[in-house]
Amino acid sequence: MEDERPPIVLLVAVALCLAACGSPGAPSRHEIIDSRDNYDPRSLDPALSTDVPTGRAVGYVFDGLTRFTPDARVEPNLAERWDVTPDGLRYTFHLRRGVAFQDGRPFSARTVIRSWQRALEPATKSGAASFLFPIAGARDFNGGKAASISGLAAPDDSTLVVTLGEPLAIFTKMMAMPVASVVPDSVPANFGEHPIGTGPWKLVEWKHDDYLLFAKNPSYFGGAPKTDTLRARIIAEPSTAVAEYESGNVDILQIPAAEASDWMEDESRKPMLMSTPALELVYIGINTTRGPLVDPRVRQAINYAIDVNRIIERLIGGRGTRAAGVVPPALGGYDSTRKPYPYDPAKAKQLLAAAGHPNGIDIELWTSTTPIYLRIAETVQAYLNAVGIRAKIVQRESAAARGAARKGQTDMILKDWYADYPDAEDFLYPLLHSANKGVGGNVSFYSNARFDSLVTASRHELDETKRNGLYRQADSLAFADAPMVFLYFYNELYAVQPWIKHFVPPVIFNGQRWLDVTIATPKP
Amino acid sequence: MTRFIARRLLLAIPTLFGVLVVAFLLLYVAPGDPVEAMVGERADSATIARLRAELHVDDPLPQRFAHYVSRVAVGDLGRSYITNRPITQDIRERFPKTLQLAGAAMLLATVLGITLGVLSARRPGGLADRFALGIAYLGISFPVYWVGLLLILLFAVTLRWLPPSGYGSLRFLVLPALTLGMRSIAFLARMTRSAMLEALNADFVRTARAKGLGEWVVTLKHALRNALIPVITVLGLDFGAYLTGSILTETIFSWPGIGRYVVNAISRRDLPAIQGTVLFLSTVFVVVNLITDLAYAKADPRVSYD
Repeated sequence: MEDERPPIVLLVAVALCLAACGSPGAPSRHEIIDSRDNYDPRSLDPALSTDVPTGRAVGYVFDGLTRFTPDARVEPNLAERWDVTPDGLRYTFHLRRGVAFQDGRPFSARTVIRSWQRALEPATKSGAASFLFPIAGARDFNGGKAASISGLAAPDDSTLVVTLGEPLAIFTKMMAMPVASVVPDSVPANFGEHPIGTGPWKLVEWKHDDYLLFAKNPSYFGGAPKTDTLRARIIAEPSTAVAEYESGNVDILQIPAAEASDWMEDESRKPMLMSTPALELVYIGINTTRGPLVDPRVRQAINYAIDVNRIIERLIGGRGTRAAGVVPPALGGYDSTRKPYPYDPAKAKQLLAAAGHPNGIDIELWTSTTPIYLRIAETVQAYLNAVGIRAKIVQRESAAARGAARKGQTDMILKDWYADYPDAEDFLYPLLHSANKGVGGNVSFYSNARFDSLVTASRHELDETKRNGLYRQADSLAFADAPMVFLYFYNELYAVQPWIKHFVPPVIFNGQRWLDVTIATPKP
Repeated sequence: MTRFIARRLLLAIPTLFGVLVVAFLLLYVAPGDPVEAMVGERADSATIARLRAELHVDDPLPQRFAHYVSRVAVGDLGRSYITNRPITQDIRERFPKTLQLAGAAMLLATVLGITLGVLSARRPGGLADRFALGIAYLGISFPVYWVGLLLILLFAVTLRWLPPSGYGSLRFLVLPALTLGMRSIAFLARMTRSAMLEALNADFVRTARAKGLGEWVVTLKHALRNALIPVITVLGLDFGAYLTGSILTETIFSWPGIGRYVVNAISRRDLPAIQGTVLFLSTVFVVVNLITDLAYAKADPRVSYD
């Protein structure tokens, strides 16, 4: 036999390397480099935007009538101001004058109408067009039943009158969504590759699966960005993004949940960290129409059986705020006095027995292949097993798992929900209103007439205080009915290089457009 | 020779047709739905129904297959459901990058692997042989993912000699090529060594030495050439495998190649993209195999295809 020796040299190299990782100095570039995208945006056509990397990039190039600040407030954008009739049905938007697209074409009220028509045209194949359905006649136009959108009128170049099918208090928030962005009049077939908007950044180059390069729009109506260029790199592997950050090649890093505690415990890295409450609810949808899960006592038992605090502490480095309802703490309508289901296995067993299942039940718990969710699912499985709920884990790719849940084929599904716009409505209505069963987002197939009427009333209520009161009531009601396991709201953790100034982490995905962010010049 | 090539290419057509049938059926039975990926989390049933109709995803399978084959026959792979870009354009953009990576990996593998193998065989048990064995150890037993991350940590983060990831100048190519080629280097080194040992003990080598030829001439000209046949087989197979998507390496190093493209397409059930890439990559594999067979004839005059 030959002499076989272990590769000691390599182990030494690794040890040296791990010990020697230091922080790099400030770069001499005038380019912000973002590493948050982990897959290529699907297109820069606003009408096709249904995912975060796409929506973020669309927000750089395009504007809507309104926009979000990093802390998720709505502010005027292409519309300088607006009036609403007391019945909440008619919005008059007073548009900015003198705004031009990046190719010089003028912007006017008619451009807005044509942009939305385009998003709603069947030929555009938009998956997000339904966000424009609150506009009267939009649904008919989308379904080919009308030649124009009856609820849109442009009395003059700088006035847009929008009539809604029914009052919708959050309509101005929807106007900041990517799909409602304003595009020039006639766009070429490859518009998704060569977008032209009125926004602060122009797309210079898009190397698919590699990066998107944007240059500042010097004539941006809100003032040109303070940095020359912005590069959104597409880095599929989180460990690689960390290495790029450690090397000083990228400026912003989104830290994966599983690695959060390593960063927070490292004294040298601590000063670079920034935290923000993401509008993301992680929950287990319980299908309220399947077998024993029809009984609210069984669903409550499931909530009592799981030690969620421990999951937050052990699996995601404490990066979650315990959920006691679906409305996140960062939004109006959150009720800080509502207490979450405590961890109480005895009570869970008692409720199960009262519901007629003294010997427990058998259910399936679906999850996507995301490693962190699989770990949470396994932990939940163990907790449930301890009270006699025998959960079988079914693992599928996220689109496949979601598809099954939408068809009502899953008992329980562990998933998350990201807000499309920062409002409690975007949690209560899609997740739990009976009009959204299945594809609309209500994978619990929850149906409660009282809850529905509260949410519907809140959608109509223009007074913010009253609206928040309705949100709280609806949330309380659903919380008691337990159509889901209320897990946590994730708090996003970012690492930001010390030379980056004025960066505020966004609460909503398109809330940071890099206008004021600068790079401090390197020390001589 | 020409007749042989022509016959092989003709035979490839039913092979590719078979690949298409299998790919179609597999995608048909796999769970998931492209429209799910198009509409995002918050959807509307009318939108879903309309998109399904527009994409013909609910048409009977034979009808869809016939339609697809008729398009492919005229060179049209269709457009992506998700991005609305032509598939041929996507492949044209990404394949050259995969080719570059695979080529660099094979170059490294050939140069390093064969050199190590030859050196090992010349003095079995010697220093070179032990070193080569160590390398072979690492290359075969360490997972690609781990090797990749270690290389990034050492050469990019700590030493700062090379960029951690991305696509660009030659400097960007070194680490991914080394990561990808590692297994081939190891395999080739072992393969070359054993083939060389056998060849060096053969009668014709003794004859060559008896003629008074120098040791290097004997090793390289007489022994190596005879040891090449199994080496070419390994090279051909590995090259084919690398070209058809070095998914892990491309992912770790953010290399914008065809491997990542196909993984993204699969996770989003982008049927035209998956089918188009499968078809294209199968063609590539067939061609690489053909070239490998032709290389046998070049290396060994006893092999003839006429």
